[in-house]
Amino acid sequence: MPKLGLCSDNRSRRMFLSDTSMGLTGLALGSLLPRKALAAETDLWSPPDGKPHFAPKAKRVIWLFMLGGVSHVESFDPKPALNKYAGKHLSETPHREVLSSPFVKENLKAFVPGQHQTKLTLYPMQSGFRERGKNGVCVSDWFPNIGSQMHELSLIRSTWTTDNDHGAILQFHTGHHIFDGYLPTLGSWTHYGLGSMNENLPSYVVLGQPPGDCCGGMGTHGSGYLGPEHAGVLLQVDPANPLPFSSPGPGVYKEEQQKEFEFLNRLNKLSGVEYPSDPALKARIKSYELAFRMQMAAPEAIQFKEESEETKRLYGMDNELSKPFGEVCLAARRLSERGVRFVQIYHGGSGNAWDSHKDLKKNHGDLAAKVDKPIAGLLQDLKQRGLLDETVVVWATEFGRSPGAEQSNGRDHHPFGFSVWMAGGGIKAGVVHGATDEIGFHAVENRHYVTDIHATVLHQLGIDPKRLDVPGRKRIEVDYGKPITEILV
Amino acid sequence: MRTLAFTVAITVAGGNLMAQNPDQAPNLYRDHIQPLFKKSCLGCHNAGAKQGGLDLSTREALLRGSEHGPVVAIGKPDDSQLYKAIAHVTEPAMPFKGKKLPDADIARIAEWIKAGADYGEPVADADGVNLTEVRKHWAFRNPVRPAVPAGNPAGNPIDAFLEFDRAKRGLTALPQTDKATLLRRVYVDLTGLPPTPEQVAAFAVSKDPKAYDKIVGELLKSPGYGERWGRHWLDIWRYSDWYGYRQSNQVRYSQRHIWRWRDWTVESLNQNKPYDRMIVEMIAGDELAPNDPSVVRATGYLARNWYLFNRNVWLGDIVEYTSAGFLGLTLKCARCHAHKYDPIPQADYYRFRAFFEPHDVRTDRVPGEADILKDGMPRVYDADDSRPTYRFIRGNESNPDTSVPLQPAVPVLFGKPDLHIQPVTLPLEVYFPDSRLFVPGDLVAQAKSSIEKAEADLKKVKDKPEPEQVILAATKRVEAAKAGLPALEARIEAEFAALKTPVPENSEKLAEEARKLERAANMIQAEADIIAAKYEFDLGKNDEKKLAGATAKLEAAVKALKEPAEGYSPTGPKYPATSSGRRLALARWIASKENPLTARVAINDMWFRHFGKPLVATVFNFGRSGKPPTNPELLDWLAVEFMDRNWDMKAIHRLMVTSNAYKMASSAATADSPQTKIDPDNIYYWRMNVRRMEAEAIRDSMLAIAGKLDPTMGGPELDETKGHDIFRRSIYFRTAPDLQMDMLQAFDVASPIECFARSESIVPQQALALANGKLSFTVSRTVAAQLAERLTTPQAFVNAAFLKVLDRTPSAAEARESVAFLTQQAELYSDPAKLTLFTNGSEVPLKPSADLKQRARESLVHVLLNHNDFVTLR
Repeated sequence: MPKLGLCSDNRSRRMFLSDTSMGLTGLALGSLLPRKALAAETDLWSPPDGKPHFAPKAKRVIWLFMLGGVSHVESFDPKPALNKYAGKHLSETPHREVLSSPFVKENLKAFVPGQHQTKLTLYPMQSGFRERGKNGVCVSDWFPNIGSQMHELSLIRSTWTTDNDHGAILQFHTGHHIFDGYLPTLGSWTHYGLGSMNENLPSYVVLGQPPGDCCGGMGTHGSGYLGPEHAGVLLQVDPANPLPFSSPGPGVYKEEQQKEFEFLNRLNKLSGVEYPSDPALKARIKSYELAFRMQMAAPEAIQFKEESEETKRLYGMDNELSKPFGEVCLAARRLSERGVRFVQIYHGGSGNAWDSHKDLKKNHGDLAAKVDKPIAGLLQDLKQRGLLDETVVVWATEFGRSPGAEQSNGRDHHPFGFSVWMAGGGIKAGVVHGATDEIGFHAVENRHYVTDIHATVLHQLGIDPKRLDVPGRKRIEVDYGKPITEILV
Repeated sequence: MRTLAFTVAITVAGGNLMAQNPDQAPNLYRDHIQPLFKKSCLGCHNAGAKQGGLDLSTREALLRGSEHGPVVAIGKPDDSQLYKAIAHVTEPAMPFKGKKLPDADIARIAEWIKAGADYGEPVADADGVNLTEVRKHWAFRNPVRPAVPAGNPAGNPIDAFLEFDRAKRGLTALPQTDKATLLRRVYVDLTGLPPTPEQVAAFAVSKDPKAYDKIVGELLKSPGYGERWGRHWLDIWRYSDWYGYRQSNQVRYSQRHIWRWRDWTVESLNQNKPYDRMIVEMIAGDELAPNDPSVVRATGYLARNWYLFNRNVWLGDIVEYTSAGFLGLTLKCARCHAHKYDPIPQADYYRFRAFFEPHDVRTDRVPGEADILKDGMPRVYDADDSRPTYRFIRGNESNPDTSVPLQPAVPVLFGKPDLHIQPVTLPLEVYFPDSRLFVPGDLVAQAKSSIEKAEADLKKVKDKPEPEQVILAATKRVEAAKAGLPALEARIEAEFAALKTPVPENSEKLAEEARKLERAANMIQAEADIIAAKYEFDLGKNDEKKLAGATAKLEAAVKALKEPAEGYSPTGPKYPATSSGRRLALARWIASKENPLTARVAINDMWFRHFGKPLVATVFNFGRSGKPPTNPELLDWLAVEFMDRNWDMKAIHRLMVTSNAYKMASSAATADSPQTKIDPDNIYYWRMNVRRMEAEAIRDSMLAIAGKLDPTMGGPELDETKGHDIFRRSIYFRTAPDLQMDMLQAFDVASPIECFARSESIVPQQALALANGKLSFTVSRTVAAQLAERLTTPQAFVNAAFLKVLDRTPSAAEARESVAFLTQQAELYSDPAKLTLFTNGSEVPLKPSADLKQRARESLVHVLLNHNDFVTLR
């Protein structure tokens, strides 16, 4: 029986581990009921077995996503020409043709047609910039720390998307415009394909404040038709209460609970005598063993007691401004280290978005100061611990911001060209790939739709996305994207 | 490789479906080129698939070329991309990734282009579906009642069909399960709640051979049936409370008060409304019974698809889920091109959409509440039947083919039944809903309460006190509200007078009076607005947006003062007085006994939920790319039976749950039992399937066990964050993407976006929800207290606790373990100094007992709630 619908499984074919006492290595999938197809009635289709399709370069992913849309020109793609043409109408510059470029049509599927009209008066750079990193990549002065790591990463300056509103958040994670619905996200495909490396922790973890229901909501780490067990699990960086139901209320004794779990285990195993071949029963027993451990493992993973002051400083935790996001990044490292396959981090939720329609200088200046040090620290820390080699780190945002001014001091949404960077996990160090035009309007060189980023990540994990397909759920080439081979080692 | 082979096979079959026009006149095209195209090219380059934008099915299409430009230069094969690709002169070489064509064929193509690339007849007509071919697919043929196999001892045809299948394969069915297991199975299955220990005991000792059947009858009569099965159907029908942008209270998807449709579902099932009638009410209740709100609310089914930003998304969802949910047809696959597997041309998708093209969503007032934000009835109506429906070229909404407006029609594969689309004339109360007699009273009450509110506001700003301008504005607002009341009353009077026939003599006078009073009230309101706007203007500072807003307000107020109002404003909106009748025609066709799919799809949905496995695995796809039924005769017999019983759902439930197949044991067979070897997937139902209970059934059962379940039915959706504190049934809590109860989420609750079949995952988060959740503690402490009142010995308590929570007595070993556990826990508690308390998690109002033995009992019940048997239907 193939997948039946959005939220289905393959009940008739579930095969539980032949031995419930086997080690954790035997548990490949996120669900405790790994599915195995029988050839007879399934057209030979079978769900993934948790093994990569080819030799992987990386084991895990840390995905940093900035909500609201970071200005590419004031981050990783500075455009001196904007200063040159500042205050000029686009038609007065040599770049008037950007509006008639075929990319406009190819690129844009307006959320509300007529909203977010192209801003025509060019707005000068609001930050200084200079060459940074050992390879001298031009980066805004708001990101000196990430800038100092440019030789460690591949910068892609030619990403594009199609939604010109914040549904672009959903789009970056599912590869589809919000009008197409809530489809599986990259994290859920990864989880579906590879499952967990540490069943004591959820294997697709979400940190930070997710976007609001306006913009995809929980769908941005959802799993669509792959089923809820493959959705991202929101973890609070709060050892007291990291997960829903992670602790019984006050008044319950730890020893009492432990005895309960032991007794429960005995009772369920007595049932097992009655139902020796019930795979669900075995899975249920296992799930309690894992829950008991997860209850301890989750708080442990996100507390920083044994982290040195030096490490904390590296993440900017000694500074009130950068401390909150520093904690998130440090938690991400600790989760990765413990085998969490996909850590998806949101920054900019709860009214703190990078969505600078006005006061860009203040908005971006403040927010960059909150994330620059922690993100750079994460890269350095992963590297010094030897984790970077097998961890793909992605920094992305929903879209860039318009070269033209919005109101007097802001920039509008800009889906036509923006920057994303990737590091570690077999990604080349010190590469700048693709480019926007002189004013940062269109991605003009080596253009990449967001699914190319997905394809690159999956490729490094050793996954061929086509082999993850679910019968009855047709996907087309653009959904898979193409790995950006130029940035691969 | 497998996928490829599969696709190719289907493509070939698909080609056969297209009509052929044999023509005996010999020529190069017909003798060679056409067969060649069919064999090697049209699989991809047809009117539907149009790979690379190229369609070779007609000469006209050929000459249009591909997305890269022309593909033939007439008379010049060497300059023709078509020839060059086939001759492997250019990339991509054709056939794509296939073997190069024989040289003779390549030469004929060149010759044909040289001769003018003439087509005699089109190779295939995109719309010309060959009905003989269509009927070859089982699901597109009307079900015919198969003969029930002979030798049917049980008398239930379900068993006769299954026994026939089993006998052929040498399979022996397992015996009936024990009575307690059966009772729990059927209780939870039909009502979502377990039986009480007393009910289990009574059934166990009953000698009445009809005892089980009687219980089934009672359960089907209980309100729990509608709540349980209502939730099942709402999975398929995509129930969702409104969502969008909660932060600014902006509805983007679905509708406020959509719960009225949920209540209609529960009530309709409990009344055993025939399924065909339910379909018609949901799709066209407003055309079927325009004046009956209890029917019209069913159209919430359509209103749920409403989407603020894009009507194509909204109508697209209706097309997709109406066809998949009722018909098992994946019509959505034909949005951009002809269906790849089923004989559905692209136009079918848009013709189906055309049934819904005129419709829109509105909210009517309900008695007792004039403010439709607070309450109201969301429903559909036909707003404009002149809206054209166009096919979107390659599914691109910005590229409609406006040359051919499409008329509503069902997919051509069903033949072309005449649907008799008849416009429906609507009564006054429907096209002008505020003419209903209860509305004026509610409006007046609302006006009075605005006066009170304005007065209260005034008192507040005076008490503070706010600046003079603010107080002045508030004073004016009170005046305006007070003037608004007589104005409203005059408008109502004038409006109702105008509706009378003949129109009373004084109606002009009444209108004039209404006009006068309303204008007076508006002037005062405008004065208030000006004062407020000026004040805001002065406060404006440098905030551009605020400044602009205040200025606009100011201008609008001034303008309103200067310009006399034209007439008086109506008390409510007026809608078209007729409805196109399109949806009614479609609904009647879907719900018709002539429809080959509807009954089969519904039977499959019901069977799935009773037996834990569907007869057609692809529950939403009965097309050619779906799975064939595992037990086709059984499916068809049930489908015909369903229709012959006039779509009586309870009759079908009864038939299914009183079958031997339903009563069978689920296990005791080991991996090496003969049945497992012959039929490991239980395709022929030699045993019952074990199932994990659905999220709602788990939570509701916990409440029921503790006697805490609040049986109140219906009403506005409850706060989804209060699931541990409000003890109503789970179906009544809010469910929308992002807004679902934590506990239900842990157990794979239906995604409101799409859920034809729920997951049955087993993940550690479920263990955490049951082990650490607030509700588990509340329930276990409550149950332990109830039981301990009458039971003093540990053995008796253990026995009662098993019965209460799991509906069964413990085995000897379980009892032994449990008694020991009671002692062990009590001992543990006796020395709290050695124990460590958890500090985090939800505070549970009901504290653990101070009595150590009682606390141990609570602990035991808590464990039983976590027992696999508690969440399992054996």
